[in-house]
Amino acid sequence: MANAATESTIDKIDQTIEESFVQKAVRWLFSAGGITICLTILVAVVATIHKGPYILVNTFITGGMWALMAIGLALLFSVMNIAGFAHGEYFMAGSLTAYFVMQPISNYTLEHPESFMAYVGPMIAILAGTFMCAFLGILTERLVFKQLRMRNREGWLLNCFLITLGISVIFQNTHQLAFGANFKGILAYWDFPSVPIFGVYMSIDRICAFFIAILTMIGFYIFMMFSTSGKTIRAVSQDEDGARMVGISVDTVHVLTFALSCGLAGLAGASLLFMFPSYPTVGVMPLYNSWFIIILVGFGNVAGSIPGGFMIALFQVLTRSYLGEGWEAVVPVLLISLILIFKPSGIFATKVRTVWDE
Amino acid sequence: MANEYEVQKQGIAKFLDYLCLTPLGAIGFLILIIVPLFPPFNQDYLVRWFILAAIMGTGAMAFDFSSGYIAVVNFGFAAFVGLGAYTSAIVANKWGIPLPVTMLCGAFTAGLLGFITGAISLRMRGMFAICLTWFIGIAMMGLAIKMVWLTRGMLGLRTAYFFGTEAPNLYYWYPVLAVALVTWFILKRIARSHIGLAFKAIGQNMDAAKTSGINPTRYRIMNFTVSCALAGWVGAFYAHFIGILTPEFLHTAKTVEFLVIVYIGGRGSLWGGFAVAFPFIWFTEMLRSNFDYLPGINLLVYGLMLIVIMIFYAGGMAQFFRYLVDKWKDNPTVRWLTT
Repeated sequence: MANAATESTIDKIDQTIEESFVQKAVRWLFSAGGITICLTILVAVVATIHKGPYILVNTFITGGMWALMAIGLALLFSVMNIAGFAHGEYFMAGSLTAYFVMQPISNYTLEHPESFMAYVGPMIAILAGTFMCAFLGILTERLVFKQLRMRNREGWLLNCFLITLGISVIFQNTHQLAFGANFKGILAYWDFPSVPIFGVYMSIDRICAFFIAILTMIGFYIFMMFSTSGKTIRAVSQDEDGARMVGISVDTVHVLTFALSCGLAGLAGASLLFMFPSYPTVGVMPLYNSWFIIILVGFGNVAGSIPGGFMIALFQVLTRSYLGEGWEAVVPVLLISLILIFKPSGIFATKVRTVWDE
Repeated sequence: MANEYEVQKQGIAKFLDYLCLTPLGAIGFLILIIVPLFPPFNQDYLVRWFILAAIMGTGAMAFDFSSGYIAVVNFGFAAFVGLGAYTSAIVANKWGIPLPVTMLCGAFTAGLLGFITGAISLRMRGMFAICLTWFIGIAMMGLAIKMVWLTRGMLGLRTAYFFGTEAPNLYYWYPVLAVALVTWFILKRIARSHIGLAFKAIGQNMDAAKTSGINPTRYRIMNFTVSCALAGWVGAFYAHFIGILTPEFLHTAKTVEFLVIVYIGGRGSLWGGFAVAFPFIWFTEMLRSNFDYLPGINLLVYGLMLIVIMIFYAGGMAQFFRYLVDKWKDNPTVRWLTT
């Protein structure tokens, strides 16, 4: 009996190994993730035919940036077990920095419209926002989370969540105190005429934002997969003690993770400055979005954040164009609550570490 | 701690014990009763601060009941308070029912929503409940803004006052103290019973509690429902004190206020939040009115306090108090006052 059972198990394993690529693809299609992605694509196509191609265009532009935010959040969670509430505030800090760097640059380009600064200047502003946020992230890690780790590791997840809440309040009100609550925005980064794509006129800024998101994702993938630092980060996220045993400096990895995650949020904020002018609570909406994404794809699933970002963006564009402004805060919340209730590990069935399980 | 209940108490001490007040607590409460009658506290605006602080403190007690005992932070707490407030206001406006009854309606709806939320979210760890209550808070605020026919949206809903529009604030002081005392009584009686023991066991180590035969989900839902219902009750009182309700009241920022008060007061102590609410509200109001050219300075202080308390002194004021009591535990007066 036992022998037969073992043999049948071995047969099953053999079958899984011998499964061809097509079979794997079919099986994936009928998993929750596959079904959701196919449905999303279907809905996107139908809505595009019904309402016009601007739906697809808007989805791609904002979706890429939400995906960047969500990657940072997922990274923070999977490496340090911190569920960040302050992630939107790094978005805000990034856009604020980009605004202040962009001011002199745009003054200069107004006087010299033909100079190379008209092309390169915005990139400098966006990079400044990114590095500023990475620096702020390192500061946060050293000043807050390292102190907490040294003193108290009990109830870490909950305490960290509440502390990030405090950080968020501090950031928002520092912004308000130092720079005022008015909108600090720019009209455009690259002041060139729009180009038509599929009959939709798109400004250069939007196209650039999309390509920045895509390039960053590719760069991030290469960094995580092939560089030594990326490998150490993955090692720590798998097993902190094991990583320490083989000589990885966990402390450095924590700093690096915080810098990366906050830098990505700052990059998103800086690149979207033309859509979201900087004001104290500008980060709230991106924060909600990245949390929706994280819950949709499962906590700590870094790769899944990318399709998740586009899905949430599509969903919001649809809500706004079919139900009107204001409902995009209510309807996604209900959807996410349903996902939390019925599929708490997310559509990709991520192996969740210590978050939801009983 | 266990043999505290075995001591036979007589006379007034027995009555206080029934009310779950230590003699020191009773003295503090008596001081609160008479304090607005004497200068410099008998000015109308100071009494108003006192009332607001007592409302916040009572809310903080209800909040602490779930965050301190079963380690579930209700991140949409302000939405539950606001739901109670809106329900009570709408019921009173539509049918003109006496206000104490409508307050119970508010408590009922908030408790019902709390029960549903708890039944959904408390099967799993605390983080799950945080996310779900947070989203419910956002959704409730969105609904309050959008359902203009019912809540008048951002225009604000006018509510009936307890004592007419012209009554001095002092009239509200005794009802709010009664609300606080009843809330304290309910929470502390539950916490002292065998149910409360189960709550504490779940909060400290859920696996160990399970091993001892406690069904954690059932007790956590129970706790959460009570906490939300009391939140709705306090919110309903707030509605008939303040006279106008706006969706801003359901915002997460309001939850943060409760959270900060509870954490400074000391998690799991119940009284800590109530005691801290008075100096805290006074302090932040002072900041806000004296530095009105620096908008948001009070919120900045909230955030800083939250972080500093959580990192350096996680037990809050209650831990400090316990430290003092332990230091002087050989003094019979101190022992009598604190048991």
